Amino acid sequence: MEVTVKAHMPGLVARVVVNEGDKVTAGQEVAVINCMKTEIHVFVESDGVVKEILVKEWDEIEIGSPMIVLEA
Amino acid sequence: MLKILNGGIEVVVEDWPGRLGYLGKGMAPAGAMDNVSLEFANLLVGNPVGEAGLEIAGGYFQAEFGADTVISVTGTDMKPTINDQAIPIWESVEVKKGDLIKFSHFSEFGFRSYMAVAGGIDVPVYLDSKSTCIFGSYGGFEGRKLQPDDVLKFGKPAQDLASLKDRKLNKKMIPEYSREWKIRAIPGPNTCPDYVTEEGMDFLFSHSFKIQHSSNRSAYRLDEVKPGFFAREDGGVGGSHPSNIVDHAYSMRGALNICGNTPIILIADGPTLGGYFCALSIINADLWKVGQGTPSRDYIKFLLCTPEEAIQARIEQRELFTEKSLL
Repeated sequence: MEVTVKAHMPGLVARVVVNEGDKVTAGQEVAVINCMKTEIHVFVESDGVVKEILVKEWDEIEIGSPMIVLEA
Repeated sequence: MLKILNGGIEVVVEDWPGRLGYLGKGMAPAGAMDNVSLEFANLLVGNPVGEAGLEIAGGYFQAEFGADTVISVTGTDMKPTINDQAIPIWESVEVKKGDLIKFSHFSEFGFRSYMAVAGGIDVPVYLDSKSTCIFGSYGGFEGRKLQPDDVLKFGKPAQDLASLKDRKLNKKMIPEYSREWKIRAIPGPNTCPDYVTEEGMDFLFSHSFKIQHSSNRSAYRLDEVKPGFFAREDGGVGGSHPSNIVDHAYSMRGALNICGNTPIILIADGPTLGGYFCALSIINADLWKVGQGTPSRDYIKFLLCTPEEAIQARIEQRELFTEKSLL
């Protein structure tokens, strides 16, 4: 089953801290959004494998923008 | 008392009008980014309208009540719940010891939500205010945003809790939200013809400026100005860029600072002086709209205003915060 990790805040993508093919566990940080000059961490809610990374550093994103696809 | 379970994006204790009278010593006024929402929230729970409440930016805040009380939530609709049951906003709500309050994220309109508690938030008054200045790390709760396991104390309610619950704001009083905030401003102090061209001033009062992602309680950064904006080649002894001047005091809160080519609204926690000129001053009655502007999404359009209109708007706004605004 595919799960899409979406942005929970608008801003710029500061960095993605996983690579395609990485195994992740629920609660793990996968990306960081820069908003209000603050780093806001993006966590996954379920275990899985990173199938596709949809954003890159400095991309401007809105709340709800798809960021990462997991194979859960 | 209130035990913080999740501090969310940024939750701070703020009052209104904040810490006034200390600009000369370099102290920002801080205070609520949206005073209208905070003052209505306090009105609903029977507090003096400038009492300290919680300013919730972005969302995801969660907390547990350690005592029975009455609260109100105003501002953007973050779909707050008590024990997973939705609660109304712009109304007062009774809560019991052990209840859990949760906020989702900001809604389609607006960015900040406010929670007032009967009796207010009991934090030390520092230089005449309970407001947090994040940039300066003073005031509020330990001079910072709230974190899990922080415990806030409440003040003593002005009335019986039973008489404070289920109070509603007249719907006509709920401010109109937008994604393009029309904000009244007075030209100056640094304007046409010495600093900005006539075309530059026309641009300021006609362009719809997107709020940049880096905007926060200190400053709201906007789109860059266009070529032909500046009336001078450089800043003379103030610096090489035409936006430079010899350092001077800023007209806080609400100055539109021109920093290089970037217009920046200086607000609650912003700097009190600096070496860039200020082309506009946002009127006090419209400052709340800046606080509800969502970074990376909303736009700001400035409307020309006179000092007389600004004073009248302020008088009319102050008249809203009375029991007459409640149903």
